[in-house]
Amino acid sequence: MIIFMQLRVNVTEFCIDFNCMKIPSSLLGFFNEIGAASRFVSRYFQEVVQPRYEVKQFIKQCFLIGYRSLPLIGITGFIMGLVLTMQLRPTLIAYGVVSKLPVMVSLAIVREIGPVISALIFAGKISSSMGAELGSMKVTEQIDAMEVSGTNPFKYLVVTRVLAATLMLPVLSVLSDAIGLYGSYLGVNIRDHTSLSLYFFEVFNTLKFGDVLPAIIKTFFFGFAIGIIGCYKGYNSSKGTEGVGRAANSAVVISSLMVFIIDLITVQITDVLGLN
Amino acid sequence: MAVTDTYSPDDSTAENVVIRIAHLRKQFGTRVVLNDFNVDLHKGESLVVLGRSGSGKSVLIKCIIGLLKPDGGDIFVLGKNIADMEHAEMDQLRSRIGFLFQSNALYDSMTIRENLEFPMRHHLRNLSNSEVNDMVMKTLADVGLAHTVDMMPSELSGGMQKRVALARSLILHPEIMLYDEPTTGLDPVTGREISTLITEVQKKYSTSSIIISHDMHCVKMTGDKIAVLIEGKCYALGTYEELERSTDHNVKQFFE
Amino acid sequence: MAKETLNNIKLGIFISSGLLILIVSLYLVGRNQNFFGSNFYVRCRFSNINGLIAGNNVRFSGIQAGTVNQIQVIDDTTIEVTLLIDKKMKPYIHQNTYATIGNDGLMGNKVINLTPNMVPAPEIVDGGLLYNKKKPYTDEMMETLSNTNNNVEVLSRKLISTVEQINNSHALWSILNDTTIPKNLNVSLSNIKEATVRINDMSAVITDIAKDIRDGKGAAGSLVADEKVANDMKQAVAHINNAAQESEVMVARIDSIVKQVQQDINNGHGTAHALLKDTMLVSRLNNSMSNIEKGTAAFNKDMEALQHNFLTRGYFKKEAKKNKKAMKE
Repeated sequence: MIIFMQLRVNVTEFCIDFNCMKIPSSLLGFFNEIGAASRFVSRYFQEVVQPRYEVKQFIKQCFLIGYRSLPLIGITGFIMGLVLTMQLRPTLIAYGVVSKLPVMVSLAIVREIGPVISALIFAGKISSSMGAELGSMKVTEQIDAMEVSGTNPFKYLVVTRVLAATLMLPVLSVLSDAIGLYGSYLGVNIRDHTSLSLYFFEVFNTLKFGDVLPAIIKTFFFGFAIGIIGCYKGYNSSKGTEGVGRAANSAVVISSLMVFIIDLITVQITDVLGLN
Repeated sequence: MAVTDTYSPDDSTAENVVIRIAHLRKQFGTRVVLNDFNVDLHKGESLVVLGRSGSGKSVLIKCIIGLLKPDGGDIFVLGKNIADMEHAEMDQLRSRIGFLFQSNALYDSMTIRENLEFPMRHHLRNLSNSEVNDMVMKTLADVGLAHTVDMMPSELSGGMQKRVALARSLILHPEIMLYDEPTTGLDPVTGREISTLITEVQKKYSTSSIIISHDMHCVKMTGDKIAVLIEGKCYALGTYEELERSTDHNVKQFFE
Repeated sequence: MAKETLNNIKLGIFISSGLLILIVSLYLVGRNQNFFGSNFYVRCRFSNINGLIAGNNVRFSGIQAGTVNQIQVIDDTTIEVTLLIDKKMKPYIHQNTYATIGNDGLMGNKVINLTPNMVPAPEIVDGGLLYNKKKPYTDEMMETLSNTNNNVEVLSRKLISTVEQINNSHALWSILNDTTIPKNLNVSLSNIKEATVRINDMSAVITDIAKDIRDGKGAAGSLVADEKVANDMKQAVAHINNAAQESEVMVARIDSIVKQVQQDINNGHGTAHALLKDTMLVSRLNNSMSNIEKGTAAFNKDMEALQHNFLTRGYFKKEAKKNKKAMKE
């Protein structure tokens, strides 16, 4: 207990003496952040199941987070499909397997590029806006005002946003995949001629549940990570405009990194389950 | 009249006390902000807490409304100790207290109407749409801004935003009003307008108030009683005139 | 409120379209893997499945019919593969249908091909076992191809040494370079021609003799009436027949020799080829051949005539009566 108090008191100093070990304050700060974030996540899971449910706000956030992100993610998906097709084509021609182009593109888009690129764009757009919005609400005491008004700000602001991000990213990812595959179809048709039905027949002939389902499931985790990090950073931002800026920036950086980490974990799990 | 290092509740008037703060202590890290702070707010009374910037005035009222948790002492609001309250009970209590934030804290993503409706969505859920609309329009009319109902907060001036914020804190007809530096950041004319408005609505809504301020004009206009906060304690308590005549250097400096 | 409704509609369209695409995609993927619709199982056993995995396609005569459902090792030499087949294909799959493991393209996935058997058999039952027919696998094909390559290499090496031996053979080249051989061949051919002319002359003489006999001139006419003479004549005729047959064989041989010589000349090189390509010579040879054929035909005609001749006719009739009598007895 005494050690803990000592830790708390001296956390801002350069380092502390902990059983004759020098522990840098940056490391303590890191663990402090991890602990605080874990508490934030556990609070989310407590609040998400408890009534009252902020349904109206949740739907509004779904609109803002999901629908409003569609043009950006759709355009990105389209370009990725088109570019990937045009980049892969010469290599496949060199190996004499150009007919396998839909196979390669569909697997790449559905398994990896669609979910990950959508998640990264989503992180850039949503996580930063959550960080900045909640940060500025915190700075201007709007979060306190909500609490005073008898509304649970965590439920109203955090739960609705995180839940909306968790549920909207899979929808966006599916749409991005579809648009990306259409882009790829157009990419094929720039040089060759293939009918839309034949192209999509080839695509669906290639895909298996093991390709589609893990990719969809991981987007739920991507969405959750992006939402919770954006909200955590905004909700706990320090006072002042600099704090808001830092919250927005670190929200994007950490959530983008988390997307890759989750992707890595997912690929290991699917590999263990034999879905690769 | 200078007071008191020790708190001695006046039992004869206890039933009229709406807020009783006893031996309140609050610290941030090693810095002690409030240390054995004692004061009573009586029904219908308007208490101004006067203190220098960073002396812990805002911390005091955030402790009263439950936004900050005291490290020691008790706060009785409308006869109940807020430290013993459950979350739901605290919510219920908060519906009887209005809070005007220093930064107004208007929700900038919502219209003025939505800002005013926001406290009602939780506490007055049984009202029909027309009743809600009537209440919004009436309260806005009381602060003279009925025409701004469908505007966004960013479209209003600082003084207007303060009035809207005041309207929002009054919409549930609270018994107690807490004002956190209501005239800070406003020009003197607008500051006076706000001070006048505060006194008007206090009469109209019959509220008991705690006003945090260091604007002496506002203090003079709005305060029935003034508590001087120095070094985390209620250093002096009295009317404006009494404290103005004080010979204590620490008190006197506010009136110079 | 109107704006909120509009936003809700937009959100509804957005989510519905996403879900619709997801559901349709899952349905299409599932349909390809036979997750939906009615199916039945059939089994087949292989000693080596060559990398076949669950989920690979099953084709019936090239038509997508189902997927590989399960692969089980029965014992150290038998692997049982369970196939999930579309029920629509059931009437066409018989108990003697062959199952083979093939490739979907040279570098593609493995696929099970079901090939109908021409021999009639009852329809397959759910869980029934199909015949398997070992098909050459790619690696086996590659191995064979490699052996073939080795053989080709050995052959080409031997061919090279043979050509070298031919090139270095002085005897062969001396024959090919010898200018006298075509001349000798030419002389032989002209000898053949002369022989033919003589045969022709001879046949003319025989015709004259036959005419004399028919006219009863000389001893021949009186001799024909005599039985002994008739017997002698019979023998003579047989000899003549033999001679004719032998001459036909000889002509055929000459014909084949000529053809062979002609072929050699056509394919030949050097002086011999130049000499033998003489078109005059060829035409002369042709003439000789046609003369031989004509001579032989005339000889046959003469023999026919001899049978109808009044001198010999009696002998032939007598012979016929004798034969009839013998038959009656």
